[in-house]
Amino acid sequence: MSLRRSWYVFGRELKLSPRSPLVFFAIAMPFLITFLISSVFGSLFDVNPKLGIVDEGDSAMTVAAQQLDGVDTTVVADASTLRTRVESHDFDAGLMLPAGFDAAVRAGENPDLQFYVSGESLASTRAIIAVTTIDLVRGVAGDEPPVDVVVTPVGAEDYVPISDRLLPTMVIYAVMIAALFLPAASLVDEREKRTLDAVLVTPTTITDVLVGKGTFAVILATVMGVVTLALNNAFAGQPGTMTLILFIGSMMLMLMGLILGLWAKDITTLYTAIKAGGIVIFLPVLFTLFPGLPQWIPKFVPTYYFLQPIYDIAIRGDTFADVLPEVAIALVICIALVPLVAWVAKRAERELAITV
Amino acid sequence: MSGARIVAIMGKDLREFARNRFFVFITLLVLVAYVAIFWFLPDSVDETVHIGVSGTVLNTDVGGVTDGGTAGFALEVYPSEEELRAAVEEGRGDIVAGIAFPPDFLASVAAGEKPTVRLLIPAGLPAEVRLLLQGAVDEVAFSIAGSPPPVDPITEAIVLGTDRAGAQVSMQQQMRPLLLIMVLMVEVFALSSLVAIEVQERTAVAVLATPVRIVDFLAAKGIFGIILAFVEAALLGILIGAFAVNAPAVIVILLLGALIVTGFAMISGSYGKDFMGTLMISMLFMIPLMIPAFAALFPGSTPGWVKIIPTYGLVDAMIRITVDGAGWSDIAPALLMLAGWGLVAFGAGALVLRRRVATL
Repeated sequence: MSLRRSWYVFGRELKLSPRSPLVFFAIAMPFLITFLISSVFGSLFDVNPKLGIVDEGDSAMTVAAQQLDGVDTTVVADASTLRTRVESHDFDAGLMLPAGFDAAVRAGENPDLQFYVSGESLASTRAIIAVTTIDLVRGVAGDEPPVDVVVTPVGAEDYVPISDRLLPTMVIYAVMIAALFLPAASLVDEREKRTLDAVLVTPTTITDVLVGKGTFAVILATVMGVVTLALNNAFAGQPGTMTLILFIGSMMLMLMGLILGLWAKDITTLYTAIKAGGIVIFLPVLFTLFPGLPQWIPKFVPTYYFLQPIYDIAIRGDTFADVLPEVAIALVICIALVPLVAWVAKRAERELAITV
Repeated sequence: MSGARIVAIMGKDLREFARNRFFVFITLLVLVAYVAIFWFLPDSVDETVHIGVSGTVLNTDVGGVTDGGTAGFALEVYPSEEELRAAVEEGRGDIVAGIAFPPDFLASVAAGEKPTVRLLIPAGLPAEVRLLLQGAVDEVAFSIAGSPPPVDPITEAIVLGTDRAGAQVSMQQQMRPLLLIMVLMVEVFALSSLVAIEVQERTAVAVLATPVRIVDFLAAKGIFGIILAFVEAALLGILIGAFAVNAPAVIVILLLGALIVTGFAMISGSYGKDFMGTLMISMLFMIPLMIPAFAALFPGSTPGWVKIIPTYGLVDAMIRITVDGAGWSDIAPALLMLAGWGLVAFGAGALVLRRRVATL
């Protein structure tokens, strides 16, 4: 193997990358997936009731409403805008606070309070906003509740919200396209177009080609993984550790990608194999999404050993020492894949030699 | 233009499509998966927060809050705090949280004392439900103490727009247009691949060396694409009940949708240099085209920029028909927009493909 020739292959991959739709896709994917998952799924399952307020008299209620945890409050300019936005369900409900509202409440009067509800708002959301509004008005009036409320947590305390459980899904998408799909598709493409044959008649060996393509894939995948974690604010104060784990995960997927790329006869076979085998790669993600499933099953899947440490650090606040056993196993899997890649490469080189 | 030649080319395309096991597999997989997804989705919306309660407070009517609940939340009574705690832990009877009133609650409040009420909160309970529980407990106590609220937003609320309380749009109804669009999108890829193969293998040149004229070739590709996309979308539509209301309008919408995706498929097929290239160019069209369907899943008004995406008319019209039972006049603007985009996309697709074939 010559590092100089591998460097040339790497440079060629880098030079051709702006023209490759797959590289574009690998770069766009983290942004797209983050947008789709965090906005669509995150919001769908975890949406707060939305309250619009028109405040004509600097009411203390508006300030209190904006500080509420559980209701998203927006101040709008006028009644007409409020009505329009409530009707189109931008807000679940709207409050019109006239000038002098606070003074009237404090004086023990029953002031006018126009309360609009969107027709599309759920009955439960209407109840939540109505009860919260009464509570806010009581706050302005200075009414002290004649009761003490104590919160007692019950059940499992390790509950993780759905939006957090989706983090491994975003990471695997970001890393898989660049680390697995890119080198595999590139190899198959080069074999189909016979450019690989042309390269191999020069002193460049198949190992040089694999090292060059693999390095490009690992760097791109690690960068995209880092970008995904940054977009989701998921470094948990350990960017160095996270980058290292992403690098090991990218290595693992890159080695799998090289094996697939050397094995597949054409791009359709590769695409079908990835479609069919993708479920195995994605399996740990499903088990994170549904924690009620038996958690020993994903331990049979290699990708578990880099996805789980990322999840444990980002969501559970684990340290590198806590996840070291999983990371070590991931490293062992990478090392074990190297001779397999070498064996498949040798076979492919023999086949190419025959066809050349 | 010759009908016989067009039919002959379409027959060839159909045979090629059927021979490609990948396309057939993906087409069938998408159909089966989408139908399964649809029927697994909830067909109704539970608008009620179920709360467990223990204690004697429920024997007293306190302003409608504790007499079994009010619209939006329902109360389930448990004889003791222990049983309530167990019910909350197990999520029995859809209970999301519990309120444990002390046995002497009524007497204590009436005597001007400040009793302690325990909220039993499971991990992950949304913050807004906590607000509801806290507010409800406070109001029960205020009511017993003889202090009514200064305002009454519950009974004096003004509902704006169609009041869907008790008849909310289910997840199934929301997902129906999205699934139909996604199946049309899959056909963008299938059709663009067929066109790409024709271009890459230069079989288009061979076909045009016969008496077939370019206009026959383009018409055959266009009609085959529309039929392919429409048939699959219609099949899915039948299986997910999309034709239950105003079926003729739904047919027109799907045909116009098929026209749009065929146009884009001809463009991506013309530019795709290989399988991956075609796939990626198809994705560039497919992703923006799916945005209106995703946007429809969000509550609230659709942003202005989404409304200019070609498939917005399709989603808008489908939702109006299946959710609101809209008639032809209601969906006319959406249909006009869809038809306009269909003509533009198909015209552009035919033009690009014509130029591409001319360069072969």
